[in-house]
Amino acid sequence: MDYKVDLRDVKFQLFEWLPTAKLLEAEKFADWDLENIEMVLDEAVKIAQQQMAACNEDGDRIGAQWNDGVVTLPESFHTAYQTVTEGGWIGLLANPEYGGMGLPEIIGTAVNEFFNGSNVAFSLTLMLTRGVGHMIEGFGTEEQKRLFVEKVLAGQWAGTMCLTEAQAGSDVGASKTKAVKNDDGSYQITGEKIFITGGDHDLTENIIHLVLARTPDAPVGTRGLSLFIIPKIKVNADGSLGESNDVYCNNIEEKMGIHGSPTCTLVFGQNDNCRGFLLGEEGHGMKLMFHMMNAARIDVGLQGCAAAGAAHQQALAYAHERLQSRSWKEMQNPEAPQVPIVEHPDVRRMLLSSKAYTEAMRAILLQTSYYLDMHHLLEGEESEKYKSYVELLTPICKAWCSEWGVQVTHWCLQVHGGYGYTSDYPAEQYMRDAEIACIYEGTNGIQALDFVARKLPMNGGKPIREILGAAEKTFQRAKSDSELMEPAWMLAAALKQIETISKELTKRPDAIQMVLLNAPPLLDMVGTVVGAHLLLDQAMLAKTKLAAILEEKGIGTQDKKAYKEFLTGHAEAAFYHNKVQTAIHFCYRALPTVAAKGAAIRSGERSPFFAIM
Amino acid sequence: MNCIVCVTSVPDTASVIKIGTDGKNIDETGIKWIVSPFDEYALEEALQITEAKGGEVTAVTYGPARAEAALRDCLARGAHKAVHVIGGEATLGDSFTIAKVLAKVLAGREYDCVLCGNKGVGTDCSQVGPMLGELLGIPHVANVTKLDVGDGSFTAGREVEGGLEQVESSLPALLTCQKGLNEPRYAALKGIMAAKRKPVDKIEVASLGIDEAADSFYTVRSLELPPPKSGGTIIQGEDNPAAAAAQLVKALRDEAKAI
Ligand SMILES: Cc1cc2nc3c(=O)[nH]c(=O)nc-3n(C[C@H](O)[C@H](O)[C@H](O)COP(=O)(O)OP(=O)(O)OC[C@H]3O[C@@H](n4cnc5c(N)ncnc54)[C@H](O)[C@@H]3O)c2cc1C
Repeated sequence: MDYKVDLRDVKFQLFEWLPTAKLLEAEKFADWDLENIEMVLDEAVKIAQQQMAACNEDGDRIGAQWNDGVVTLPESFHTAYQTVTEGGWIGLLANPEYGGMGLPEIIGTAVNEFFNGSNVAFSLTLMLTRGVGHMIEGFGTEEQKRLFVEKVLAGQWAGTMCLTEAQAGSDVGASKTKAVKNDDGSYQITGEKIFITGGDHDLTENIIHLVLARTPDAPVGTRGLSLFIIPKIKVNADGSLGESNDVYCNNIEEKMGIHGSPTCTLVFGQNDNCRGFLLGEEGHGMKLMFHMMNAARIDVGLQGCAAAGAAHQQALAYAHERLQSRSWKEMQNPEAPQVPIVEHPDVRRMLLSSKAYTEAMRAILLQTSYYLDMHHLLEGEESEKYKSYVELLTPICKAWCSEWGVQVTHWCLQVHGGYGYTSDYPAEQYMRDAEIACIYEGTNGIQALDFVARKLPMNGGKPIREILGAAEKTFQRAKSDSELMEPAWMLAAALKQIETISKELTKRPDAIQMVLLNAPPLLDMVGTVVGAHLLLDQAMLAKTKLAAILEEKGIGTQDKKAYKEFLTGHAEAAFYHNKVQTAIHFCYRALPTVAAKGAAIRSGERSPFFAIM
Repeated sequence: MNCIVCVTSVPDTASVIKIGTDGKNIDETGIKWIVSPFDEYALEEALQITEAKGGEVTAVTYGPARAEAALRDCLARGAHKAVHVIGGEATLGDSFTIAKVLAKVLAGREYDCVLCGNKGVGTDCSQVGPMLGELLGIPHVANVTKLDVGDGSFTAGREVEGGLEQVESSLPALLTCQKGLNEPRYAALKGIMAAKRKPVDKIEVASLGIDEAADSFYTVRSLELPPPKSGGTIIQGEDNPAAAAAQLVKALRDEAKAI
C-alpha cells in the first residue's frame, strides 16, 4: 500500500506557522536545529512509506494470529519493527539519559502522524511502548528505571497499558484484578484484563505490562487502584530474562479494523505465579495512569488526523486518474469525452472538505503539542498556563479529531465510488482502521463528559476563556481582509453562540441533564471553532507569503485565467493559494454547524430522556 | 581500511521535472534533491567495509551549495567526514570535468577503496567512476553487485549477460556499485543528531586549478521533455483473436512505428 502525506503542509505548520525555530533555541534542544529536524521528518516519511505502509496490507489481511496462547504478527512487521528500533524512533522524545533523542513534542507529533497514517495497527505498539518507558522513567524507583527504561525505550521490550476488564470499561473504578503484597515487597497478581492492545506478540523478547489492580483493603472505585509493572517474562536483578511470569493470552478479538494489532485477553496469575512491582504509591494508580492516558489521548486523536491525511492524499490521486462522465460544462453534449472525476463539483467539495478538516486537526494537534513543549520548558505560572491549555485541548484532540477523521475517510471512500468499497483500494481499510480511535482511550462520549464537566470549569473557566479569546483576536485581524472578512464574521458568530449557550445552559433548572445529554455536540462546537480559528490564522500567513511570490513574479490576480495558469505551474504559490481556499471553505461549511448544534441544545429538547427504549 | 564515497545529488524521483528558461538545464525551483540512489549502495558498502575492518568513510561531492544536504545525509548514515567541492552549477555537468575535479581532491588522500554509484540517476551516463579510476591510475570495476574486500586485494562480482563475472584485483581500487549489492540503511536519529557536528571540508573548485568550462567532452545543446503519454487503445479480441492480432501488428507498424 502506498502512503502519501502532505509534507508541505506539515512543514508549513511546523516551520512557518508555529515558532519551532524559537523553540529549538532552548538549551534542552541544543542538539537540534531546523536543518537536522527536517532530516528527521524526511527520514520518518521514508520509513513510513517504505517500511510501515509496505506491511499495512499484511497487517490487515494476515493480521495477528493466536495459537495456543501465543500471538504472532506478519513477517513484514518484524522487518519494519527492526528499522524503527534501530533508528531509535521509539525514544524520539525521551530523555537522552536513557538513550532517548530529546526531541520536542511537536516533532514527535509530526513524526507520529506519518507512522499512524502509514500503518496505525503497527504504530500502536510503538505508542504504548514509548508510554510505558516514559511512565517508569517518571515514576519508577531507581531499580525499576535501571531494569526497564532503556530497554523499553529502545524497543527491545514492548509495553502495554492494562485498564479494561469485562465489567470495567468506561467505569475503570470497577476493576477487580487483585494485588497482594509479598514479603519481598513485590505483589502477587491475579485477574483478567480484556481488550489489551499488544498484550502478546512476537516482535520482542519481553513485554512490560502496566496494570491497574486493587490491593486487599483498598477503597472502592478508582481511589483504590494501584499501578503495577508486570513483565511477561520475569526479569533478573542483572537485567537478564528469567522464567515466565504467568501472564497468559487466552484469546485475541476478531474485529472491524486494525487487524495487525492484537487485542488480547490477558490472564494474570492463573498458576499463582504472577509477580508485579508497584509503580509509585498504593492508591495512586489512576492518577499515574492519567499521565500515560493523556499523552495517549493526543496520540489517538492523531490517528484520526493521520488516517484522514492519508485517505485524502490517496483519494486525490484517484480522482485525477479515474475517468467518468462528462464535464458539467458539457452536460448537454453526449459526444463530450469522459473527464477525470476531480472535475466534478461534488467530488471537489468532498476533497476540499477532507483537506480542510485534515489541516484543522493537524493544526489543533500541533498547537497542543507546542503548548506541551512550552509547559515543559517554562516554569511557574507560565508553565501552568500552558499546562491548562493542554488539559483543555486534550479531549478535543482525542474526540474531535477521531470523529472527523472517520468522517474524512468516509468522504474519501465516497470519492472512489464502488471501487472504494472493494479491497482493491485502501479507502475501506483507512475507514475501518480509523473507527477505533473514537472508542479506545476513553470513548468520545467519556471525552465529552471530561471536557464539559472538568475542563471547561477548570481554574474558574480561565483556560477556555483564553483559548476562545485567541480565536476572537483572529477574528479581529481577519475581518479587515476583504477575502477573509465574511469567514471571519462567521467565526465571530460561532463564538457568540458558544458564549450564549454557556450562559443560558448553566441557568437552566435542568442544567445537569442538559449538559450530560449534549456533551458531545458541545465539544464538537468548541473543536470546530478552534479549528476555524487556527485555519484562518494560517490563511492570513499564507496570504502574505502568496502576495510576496506574486509581487516577485509580477503576477496580478485580476486576470483570473492567467492567474490560474500561473498557479498550476507554480507549486509554492498554489500551496499558499490553497491554504486560503481551505480556510474559507472550512469557515463556510463547518462554522454554521456550531449555530445549528447550538440551536438544538438551546431548544431544551430532551426526548432521549422521555423516549421508551 | 579507508573508503571514499563519491556522491552526487539528483532530483527526488517524485519531483516534477520542468525545463529551465535557458532550455539547457532543468528548472530547480521546488525540486527536492536527494543522494543519487546508486550512490546509496556505494555508501552502504563503504560503511559495511569499515564496520568490519575499521577505518573511516569520507563522502565527497562536487556541486553547488545545495549539495551539502547530500553530504549531511551521508554523515547521518554513518560517514565519518565529508568533502564538498563547491562548483558545478550546471545540473547536467560533463562527466569528464566531474572526474577531473574528483581526481584532484582525491589525490594525496589515503584510501583503499573508492566507491561510486554505477550511474547518476537522471543523466545515466555511467562514466564518472571509470574515468576517475583511470585518472587515479588504480584498478576499477564497474556495476559491482557483490564485493569481498581482503588485505590488499578484493573480489568483485558483476552481472554480465547470462551470468555473474568474478573479478580479482589489488587495492586501492575503484568500484561502481549497482543495485543488488546491499540494502542501504536508514539514517538513525542518533546519526542525524551527530551529523551536525561532523566536519565538512569545503573547497572552491577554482582553488583546485581546474577550469570548469574547459575541455568538456560534451555540451548540452537543448533539453526536451518526453511527449506526454496518450491514452491506451484496447483491441477487443475475444471473438476473433487472429483478427485482433493482425490489428495489433498493423497498429505497431503504422501508428507506433515500433516494428
Ligand atoms: C481494539 C481495542 C483496543 C483496546 N485497547 C485497550 C488497551 O490497550 N488497554 C485497555 O485498558 N483497554 C483497551 N481497550 C478498551 C477500551 O478502552 C474500552 O473498550 C473503552 O474504554 C470502552 O469501554 P467498554 O468497551 O467497556 O464500553 P462501555 O464502557 O460499556 O461503554 C459503552 C457505551 O456507554 C457509554 N458510557 C459508558 N459510561 C458512560 C457514562 N458514565 N456516561 C455516558 N456514557 C457512558 C460509552 O461512551 C459507550 O458509548 C481497547 C478496546 C478495543 C476495542
